[in-house]
Amino acid sequence: MRALFRRILAFCSVISVLVPAAVWAAGEKAAMLVVVADTRRVTSDIGKYFADLYNTNMWLFAVWAVVLTAGYGVFLGFSMDIIMSRTGLDLKSRKIIEH
Amino acid sequence: MEHSFWYLHMPIAGVEIFWPGLVLIGFSVGTIGGFFGMGGAWMVTPGLNILGFPMAFAIGTDIAHIAGKSMISTMRHSKFGNVDYKLGFVMLFGTMFGIEIGAQMIMWLERLGKVGPIVRWVYVGFLAMISFMVFYDYYKADQAKKAGRISGDKGAEGITWYKALHKINIPPMVHFKTAGFTCSAWLPIGVSFITGILAGFLGIGGGLLRMPALVYLIGCPTHIAVGTDLFEVMISGLYGAFTYTLKGRIELVAVFVMLTGAAIGAQIGTVATKYAKGYGIRIAFGCAVVACMVSIILKQYGIDVMAAVVILGAISALCVYIVSIMFKGAAAELRDKKERERAAAAFQN
Amino acid sequence: MKRNPVFWCVTLLFLVFCFGPAWAAEVSQGNCISVNDKDKTLTIEEYDLNFTKDKPYGHPTGKNSTYNIATALIGIPPTKGDVLRISYDVKGTERIALKIMNVSKQDLKKK
Repeated sequence: MRALFRRILAFCSVISVLVPAAVWAAGEKAAMLVVVADTRRVTSDIGKYFADLYNTNMWLFAVWAVVLTAGYGVFLGFSMDIIMSRTGLDLKSRKIIEH
Repeated sequence: MEHSFWYLHMPIAGVEIFWPGLVLIGFSVGTIGGFFGMGGAWMVTPGLNILGFPMAFAIGTDIAHIAGKSMISTMRHSKFGNVDYKLGFVMLFGTMFGIEIGAQMIMWLERLGKVGPIVRWVYVGFLAMISFMVFYDYYKADQAKKAGRISGDKGAEGITWYKALHKINIPPMVHFKTAGFTCSAWLPIGVSFITGILAGFLGIGGGLLRMPALVYLIGCPTHIAVGTDLFEVMISGLYGAFTYTLKGRIELVAVFVMLTGAAIGAQIGTVATKYAKGYGIRIAFGCAVVACMVSIILKQYGIDVMAAVVILGAISALCVYIVSIMFKGAAAELRDKKERERAAAAFQN
Repeated sequence: MKRNPVFWCVTLLFLVFCFGPAWAAEVSQGNCISVNDKDKTLTIEEYDLNFTKDKPYGHPTGKNSTYNIATALIGIPPTKGDVLRISYDVKGTERIALKIMNVSKQDLKKK
């Protein structure tokens, strides 16, 4: 574990040195990339709302993205709990290991 | 018609995505993550990129789906009091700052037009490291078994780097009650900063680095480290999702599709741990990591279809393995339970 | 600290919904014909939604439209011949560009 950890640390420091080096080598030709969602191709109302929001108000879109993702995660977690408790398996005698 | 049924248009990135592949990646990351206990997010960024997402979108979408997944597991852990919130909040500064730097690096690379190749090669290195760890671990356990030692050496007790690090006396010194130690606030901030950069750059949760750092560098008891790490993964996921969305590099449709698959997969994966025996499955895991690595290299050299076949094939094979463990085990358990009930009923009569 | 997260979420969602419908913009895509740096305007020939293998950005419609780009967020600077995707608001007869994406030059699909 100790050697392993040292390896991880070494790897990360190598990345943090190599990446900027590679970037410098690539040279400066920076122009910001702007993305416009093609709302002409979106047919559903909800899809259109979010695509429009993406084009007009990125902050609101970001708030939506975080709230919806978190909310949906919690919703899925609870509903899975309910479903799993109905299977009749003994789920208490296990360790909770998940990310 | 035939073609368009299998492909879903992503309105923001403007690409057509083979949606069964998306579902499969979500399900696999849930199953494999639930089973092995380590994120599994390492396969999502390359997987999405191989399916056709531009690299920055792949990272943003990956980090957002981590946020969704980690919500529920953090809630479960905090119920058991395994989270040192004070430590979590102190680390929050480093994590968020680190993620921002990682994300800025990605945006910068994108402007230079180098984001695809560089992130792919970093991933190749990262996955090479993971697979090496897995195989080395297996090799050591195997050796220990052959030598007749019971439950291989942990070697963890000897490391007391944190004792030296706790002596660093840069104010502010903070006492963490739940974890039970006092140290300079800069120590956890520094650790979380580095993991934050990695998480923001690769679109992962960062637990792979943060967990050992919490234990060996900061001196957290392991169960607190697990809970606090999860809390940190949640924060990093939420902040990462926010900042990547603000930069316009996220595809919500894909996040939701994957999250659904991941939630179902995680249940199967965690239940399967109950019935899994032996070390052999780790070899399968290592092979999947290697396959993922190979497919990234294929993608880098423009062999897209082959890359997709390799990565999707490898993760679905591993999933089928885990799902079969789960169903066999669950069927056996339910059968036993029924028999016990029948026996009890017969006894009462 | 965690007094009632559900309450705050619901409130937030409600607020977002209240303000939500106000945000909408038109989108057009087409071939850049001219860029006028002095007047801060840009003209494109619009493309349609008929995407084919040899015309991945759509077919030309022959309809030209001009945009005010003074306040627009512009990515890779557009030059004549680039395929652009523009989100814009219509104010009176003028089209005010919000964001300009240089579709052909940044080609996200290859990243």
